[in-house]
Amino acid sequence: MTSRMSLIALAASLCAPLSFAQGFKPARTVDLVVHTGPGGGSDVLARAIAIMVEKEKLLPVRLQVINRPGGNGAVAAAHLAEKRGDPNTLGLFTGVWLQTPLVSAEAKVTLRDLTPIARLVLEPAVIAVKADAPYKTLADFIEAAKKNPGQLKQSGGSNTSRDNVVRQLLQKSTGTRWAYISFPGGGERIAALLGGHVNIMVIEPEEAGEHIRAGNMRVLAQVSEKRLAKFPQVPTLKEAGFDVPVVPQVRGVVAPPGIPKENVEFWQDFFLRLSRTPSWRKYIEDNQFEDGYQNAADLAKFYDEFTDRMREILKDAGVKTVR
Amino acid sequence: MEDGTRKSGDLWSGLALAALGFYIIIQASQWEYLGPDGPGAGFFPLWYGVVILGLSVLLIVSHLRRAHDRGNPTDWSRLGRALSTWFSLAVAVALFKPLGFVISFALLTYFIVAVMYRRPLATAALVAVATAAGFYLVFDLALSVPLPVGMLGF
Amino acid sequence: MEILAGLLNGFAVALEPANLFWCFVGVLLGTVVGILPGLGPPATIAMLLPLTFNMNPAGAIIMLAGIYYGAKYGGSTTSILMNVPGESASVVTCLDGYQMARKGRAGPALGIAAIASFVAGTVGVLGLMLVAPPIAKFALSFSSPEYFALMSLGLALVVLLAGRSIVKALLAALVGLWIASVGTDLFSSTSRFTFGQMELLSGIDFVVVAIGVFALAEVMVNMEAREETQLLPVPKGLRNLLPTLQDLKDCRFAFVNGSVIGFLVGALPGGGSTIASFLSYGLEKAVSPRREQFGTGVIEGVAAPEGANNSETGGALVPLLTLGIPGSGTTAILLAALVLWGFKPGPLFIPEHPALFWGLVASMYIGNVMLLILNLPLVPLFAQVLRMPVYLLYPLILGVSMVGVYSVSGSLFDLLLLMVFGLLGYLMRKLDYPSAPLILGLALGAGMERALRQSLMMSEGKLSILVSRPISAVMLSLAVLVLLIPMFGKLNAWRLRALEQG
Repeated sequence: MTSRMSLIALAASLCAPLSFAQGFKPARTVDLVVHTGPGGGSDVLARAIAIMVEKEKLLPVRLQVINRPGGNGAVAAAHLAEKRGDPNTLGLFTGVWLQTPLVSAEAKVTLRDLTPIARLVLEPAVIAVKADAPYKTLADFIEAAKKNPGQLKQSGGSNTSRDNVVRQLLQKSTGTRWAYISFPGGGERIAALLGGHVNIMVIEPEEAGEHIRAGNMRVLAQVSEKRLAKFPQVPTLKEAGFDVPVVPQVRGVVAPPGIPKENVEFWQDFFLRLSRTPSWRKYIEDNQFEDGYQNAADLAKFYDEFTDRMREILKDAGVKTVR
Repeated sequence: MEDGTRKSGDLWSGLALAALGFYIIIQASQWEYLGPDGPGAGFFPLWYGVVILGLSVLLIVSHLRRAHDRGNPTDWSRLGRALSTWFSLAVAVALFKPLGFVISFALLTYFIVAVMYRRPLATAALVAVATAAGFYLVFDLALSVPLPVGMLGF
Repeated sequence: MEILAGLLNGFAVALEPANLFWCFVGVLLGTVVGILPGLGPPATIAMLLPLTFNMNPAGAIIMLAGIYYGAKYGGSTTSILMNVPGESASVVTCLDGYQMARKGRAGPALGIAAIASFVAGTVGVLGLMLVAPPIAKFALSFSSPEYFALMSLGLALVVLLAGRSIVKALLAALVGLWIASVGTDLFSSTSRFTFGQMELLSGIDFVVVAIGVFALAEVMVNMEAREETQLLPVPKGLRNLLPTLQDLKDCRFAFVNGSVIGFLVGALPGGGSTIASFLSYGLEKAVSPRREQFGTGVIEGVAAPEGANNSETGGALVPLLTLGIPGSGTTAILLAALVLWGFKPGPLFIPEHPALFWGLVASMYIGNVMLLILNLPLVPLFAQVLRMPVYLLYPLILGVSMVGVYSVSGSLFDLLLLMVFGLLGYLMRKLDYPSAPLILGLALGAGMERALRQSLMMSEGKLSILVSRPISAVMLSLAVLVLLIPMFGKLNAWRLRALEQG
C-alpha cells in the first residue's frame, strides 16, 4: 500500500514542474536497441523491461527489442546516431558502449554524441576462488601473488572489461602482478576456475551464487560500496583493506541525438516510474543488481567521470586509447 | 577443360596470395608479438602470414617449372554470364536502402528470368511478382523475420 | 534404479497432455526455423520468451528445448537442396548433401539426415541421462591446451578435404584463419584487419562467409550455361525418395561416430556443433574405405555431421544443467529463461528439481520421435523443390541467401560482405581452390588462436604445456597422423610403381 501511495505522491510531485512535458507521448511502437544478439545480457534485460512495461501498463504503445549486434556495441550506437531526432527509438547501453570508442578508432559514436536519458542499474561483482583454493581472504591471495609474481592467473573477459579493471586497480595499489587470461564466454571463464586452470575470477554475484551453495566456489571480497544482501559475511574491497575505487558495471538508456527537451523529460520520467514498480524491484533483487537510477543530467556527468577514470586505468594497463 | 585458366590461374592467384601474406606480415609486425602475460595480437597472424607467403611462393615456383602447355582459352561468355549474375545481385543489394527488399528482389528476379534466361517478358513479370510477394508473405508476415525496408516503408 | 525411477517420473510429466502439446509446438517451430536460413533457435526462443511467463515451467522448458533440437533437424534442408547452409552446424552437410541432390538423390540425403538426427539425438539424450555428472567433470578438466589440440586436429582434416592440390587446400584454410582474426582482439583490444569499418570490429559472421562461398558461388557457376537443363533430376516414386537398406548399412559407423563425437564436443563449454560436425565428417572420411569419393555425394558424409549436430544438443545440456554453465548462444538463452522463471541453474539444479530435469529428458525422447515422424513425410515434399525450372530456382536461392544473411544481424553491411564472399567463392571454384578448407579454417581459427594464447599464458610461455597433458598429447598425435595420411597414400603409390618397374 505504502509503495503505491508514494508512487502517487511521486507522480504528483513530478507532474507539477513537468506539466509542460505532457505534450509528448510515443505514437508508435518504441524500439529499444541492444548491442547483443538474443540471449546476451543486454538483450535479456531489454526483454525483461518490455515485459514489465506491458504488465505494469506504463506505455500506451508496445516496446520492442531490436538487436543490432556487431562492432562491440559500435553498430548499435551508430544505429541510434542515424536515428537523429526520432523520439520513438531508445538504446540500452552498457559499459561496452563507453569502452569501445575509447580503444577502437573505428567506433566513432561515443555516448556523448547521443542523448543521455537515465542510468538504470549498477551491477556489483564478487571476487571468487575455487572452494579448495588455499586463499581464505583476498589478502591471502595478494600475499601469494607477491611471492610468485606473474604466476597466478585470473580468468576474465576482454582486457577492457571490468574484470581486468578490478585486477589493474588491485595490482597498482598492492604492487603485485598476476596474469590475466581472456575467455570469450562467461561459461568458459567459470569452467576455467572450477577446472583449476586459473586461480581467481571476478564474477557476478548471481552467477556465483549456485556454485557457492554447491560448495564449489568461495567468495573472498565483493566489488561494491556496501555489502550485498545475499553476501552479508563477505567484506567489500575497502573492508578487506584494499582502498581502490569501485568501478561499477553500468546499464542505462540513451536516445538518438537531437531530440527535443520534452521528450528527454518524458523518457527520464518514464524510467523513473519503471524503476519504482514492484516488478522492477523484484527483478533487481533476483539478479542482485543495485538500483542505479540517475536522471539525464546526472548520467551525463557520470559518463564524463567514468570515461576519464577508465582512460586512466586502461593507460595504466598498457591498453592504447584512441580518444 | 579448365586446364588453361587453371595453370595461369595458379600464377595469378599465387601472386595475389603472396601479396596477402606480405600484407598480413606487415600488419602483424605492428602489433605486439609477446606481451608480459603471453603471446600478443601479432603472434598468430605473423605465423600464418609467413606460411601463406611460403606456400604461395611454392605454388608460383611449381607453376613456373611446369611446361607451359596452354589448354583451352578462358570461355569469356560463360565468365560474363556468371559475373553479370553477380553484378545484378550487387545492384539489388545496393537498391535495398532506397527501394526495400521486395521491389529490389522482384527486379532481380525479372532480370534473371527475362535477360539471363530469355523467357517471355510476361512470364518474367509474373515470376518476379510472385516470388517477391511470396518472400514478403513467408518471412515478413508469417515469421516476422525483418526484411530490408526501403523509403516506401516496405 | 534411481535413473529408472527418475525416467518413469519424467515420462509421467512429459506425457501430460499439456506438456505433450508444448513439446509438439516446440519441435514444429524448431523444424520451421531450422529450415529457414538465418533465423536460428536463439532468436526464436528470445521472441517466445515473454509468452512462457504464464506457462507451467515444465511445459515451457520442454517447448523451448524442442525448438533447440528441432531446429537441428531442419538445418540440413537448405544445405542439401540449395547449398545454402541454414546454420553454421549444417555447413558440412553441404559437402556431400548437395552433391547427392545433384545426382538425383536429394530424397535419400534428406531422409538420412532425419534418421541420423533421430538416432544421434536419442543417443545424446541417453548420454545426458546416464553420464551427465562424469561428462561434466571431464569437460572441466578440458582446458586451453586441450582445446588447442582439438582445433589442431580439426584443422588437420584440411588434408582430407583437399582436392587435387594439398598446397591450395592449405592456402584456402590459411585464408580462413585470416578471416577469422578480423575484428577486435579479445586479449589486447587491438583492431585487426578491420579496414576502418566499425562493423568489422566484432569480426565476420561465419554464416555470411559460408552462404557466400557455397550458395552464391554455386548459383554463379550454374548460371554460366545459358541452356536451361534440368540440373537436378528428381526421380519419381516414393521408394526412390527415401534411403535404401544399403544406404542405412553404409551409415552404420556414421551413426555411432556422429552420436559420440557430437555428445562429447557438445559437452565442452568451448565446443559447439560446428566443430562437432566438422570433426565427425573428418573422422568418417579418415576411416572410410571409399575415402576418395567423399565430397561427391556419399551418404555417410551427410549422416555423420547431421548426427553430430543433433547429439550435440544433449551434450550441450550437460554443462548447462549440471553446472549452470552455458556453452553456446542457445544454451545461454535457455539459462536466461530458467533464471527468469525463478530457477537457479547450477550444480544443485537436478537434485532440487528432479521432476523438471526428468520431464525434460523424457520429453526429448518423445520429441525426437515426433521429429522423425514429422520430417520423413516432408522429404518427398521438399525434394519437389528441385523440380522447379532453373530460372525460378536460382532467384529463389539468391533470395533465401540474402534473407538468411540479413536476418542474422539486420545489417546491410553483412549483405555487402555476402557479395564479396560470393565473388571469392566463384573465383576459388574457377581457380580450383577447394572451399571447404576455407570454411574449416574460419570455423576453427579464432578458437585455435585463443586456445594457443591462453595455453601459453597458463604455462608462462612454455610450449611443453601442449604435449605434457595426456588428452592434448593424444589429440595432437592424432592430428599429426591425419596430416600423414596423404603421405602414406603417396608412399604406397610410389612403392607400387617401384615394384612394377623393379
